[in-house]
Amino acid sequence: MQDSLVKDRQMFDVFRIDETIAEHEFVNPIRVIRGEKLSHVGTERTADNRDLGKPQPVQQKRQMVRQPVCIRVCGIVNTADSALAGQTKHRLVEDLASLNLRQRIILWEVRLPDALIALAVGAALGLAGVEAQTILNNPLASPFTLGVSSAAVLGASVAIVLAPSVTFLPEAAILPALALVFALGSGMLVLAVVRFGRGARETVVLFGIALVFLCNALTAALHYIADADAIQQIVFWTFGNLTRAGWTEVWIVSACFLLLLPFSLRHVWLLTLLRGGEAHARSLGIDVSRLRTWVILRSSVLTAFAVCFVGTIGFIGLVGPHIARLLLGEDHRFLVPGAALCGALVLSLASFLSKALISGVIIPVGILTAVVGVPVLLGLLFRQRRVS
Amino acid sequence: MTSFEVANLATYYGRTQALHDVTLPRLGAGEVLGLLGPNASGKSTLMRCLSREKRSTGRILLDAVEQQTITHTRWHEQVGSMPQAPPAPSDLMPTELMWSTARALAINLSDAELAAKIEQVFVRLGLETVALAPLHTLSGGKRQLVGLALALIREPALLLLDEPTAALDLHWRMAVLEMVREEVSRRGGIVIAALHDLDLAARYCDHIALLQHGRIVAAGSPEEVLTPAALAEVYHVEAEIHHAPDGSLRIDVLRPI
Ligand SMILES: Nc1ncnc2c1ncn2[C@@H]1O[C@H](COP(=O)(O)OP(=O)(O)OP(=O)(O)O)[C@@H](O)[C@H]1O
Ligand SMILES: [Mg+2]
Repeated sequence: MQDSLVKDRQMFDVFRIDETIAEHEFVNPIRVIRGEKLSHVGTERTADNRDLGKPQPVQQKRQMVRQPVCIRVCGIVNTADSALAGQTKHRLVEDLASLNLRQRIILWEVRLPDALIALAVGAALGLAGVEAQTILNNPLASPFTLGVSSAAVLGASVAIVLAPSVTFLPEAAILPALALVFALGSGMLVLAVVRFGRGARETVVLFGIALVFLCNALTAALHYIADADAIQQIVFWTFGNLTRAGWTEVWIVSACFLLLLPFSLRHVWLLTLLRGGEAHARSLGIDVSRLRTWVILRSSVLTAFAVCFVGTIGFIGLVGPHIARLLLGEDHRFLVPGAALCGALVLSLASFLSKALISGVIIPVGILTAVVGVPVLLGLLFRQRRVS
Repeated sequence: MTSFEVANLATYYGRTQALHDVTLPRLGAGEVLGLLGPNASGKSTLMRCLSREKRSTGRILLDAVEQQTITHTRWHEQVGSMPQAPPAPSDLMPTELMWSTARALAINLSDAELAAKIEQVFVRLGLETVALAPLHTLSGGKRQLVGLALALIREPALLLLDEPTAALDLHWRMAVLEMVREEVSRRGGIVIAALHDLDLAARYCDHIALLQHGRIVAAGSPEEVLTPAALAEVYHVEAEIHHAPDGSLRIDVLRPI
């Protein structure tokens, strides 16, 4: 437990570790950064890691500013970054060619998965959010309100506190696996309510909220029996952290998103039509209950996969769709892909800021999504107010 | 030739029976049936049963084909229905709503044909000026007309209208019914409209069915059904019926009793 706490802290300190490693060159950076097997290095270096938390010597800091090649390149990979950094293409090629092995590893194994998981998770949550909002006719509906995120937190807490061992799963996979199972489980419960509550949307929303409270209560119960380290780990997990993801996670979340996207796109007409009111849709012969079942299923699965690896970043599922709605209107042909895109962009921006705001420190991205998302949303709302 | 028959229809909300043994006059091509009755008499419920939104027992035959024997999709290819509530006041524009409805229902028209069709419906309903305004900025009456436009997009054989004129002004409540009449007589369709306006019902309906507490208490031509005695019993009003020089019926409602 102690060990994994150290691991998690280190993951928050990727920047610092990069640089430290760059200076000392005594371990394979990937293994440290990915937290794969820290036991043999980590235990010796625990004291070192504590030092990293202290203010850095001026000289070292300056070096970090002077030598941020990999950071810059990754910044360009990251969609949001490129706009801010304003790097030219030709510069990028030059930089890529000039990378040495270590920098290349940092690029391919750390920065690129980070940037891509931000896109994949953001897109998945944006898509899940817009579909939930439309199908439940509720602007507040999101992966959060359906209870899926809270269930993921509960699953993660179970993994951290009770530390169950599953024979066929490697230790590192137990936490995301349990988060996924709990999230999917809560999704299935919501689905059962949709099916047997004859699809009344108020019932679904209410049940979702009830599920949130139930999961929170159970998580609190786990807090109660957990030791301080475990609690801290749970709290870290709930912050949301993209640096936990590697290529496997990127593939899984992207595959899930890309597999479900065509189904969402097939429903764009129905979803648009539903904005005209459920009564009309029903009277035109549309089986709204069946549509609702499919959409909630999709939304829950997407959310479950999106949050199980990186922790709860549910706010994207609320803000992405609303930004898209304000920019693109209600036609779901544009709104559905637009919400996915907005989710991806906002999360990328948050991910960029989480690394760039304080040099050498990664702020948990879950915190920054709200900090970034709220002003963007407010700006758009006020702009629209002025137009109308 | 289109024909429509409803016999011995019954339905429930939970355990309460909402419709008892409803049998309607047999309707032929181009005919309009007015469904009258006080609040909570079961007009909307009957409409929902006919559009197959709500389950019912009894027989519903369109062109002598039993409703239960054909699929949901097949049924809705022939039936257009407008619920009592107008479309939700969302940010959607009437054009977007019409377009997505047509596409969601897989209406077999090219983009150009569909655009022309939507424009034609909008012009006839006086909606062309608000076609690109968000629904929540439309007046209540215009929103109700958008609801009617949705039901018309499919050119249905059977058109079910639940209080189509409730929110409309003097001009449009007549214009709408005239347009609907003209439309179905041209195509040989059938209309069933729930109405609260007795004058309109007498003027535009070939048949009238009077509902009370989920039962049909009278059915037939306007002259047969709209009598002072029936209005007193069903609506609890004192009324006088006059025949205008042009042969149409005028109903003077004097006071509630
Ligand atoms: N969803 C429902 N659940 C339970 N009862 C219902 C439901 N909808 C309608 N009812 C009941 O069925 C009866 C008929 O209602 P309906 O809406 O068909 O009346 P209506 O004739 O359309 O009235 P109005 O003129 O006010 O529109 C009423 O007693 C009503 O309370
Ligand atoms: Mg009604």
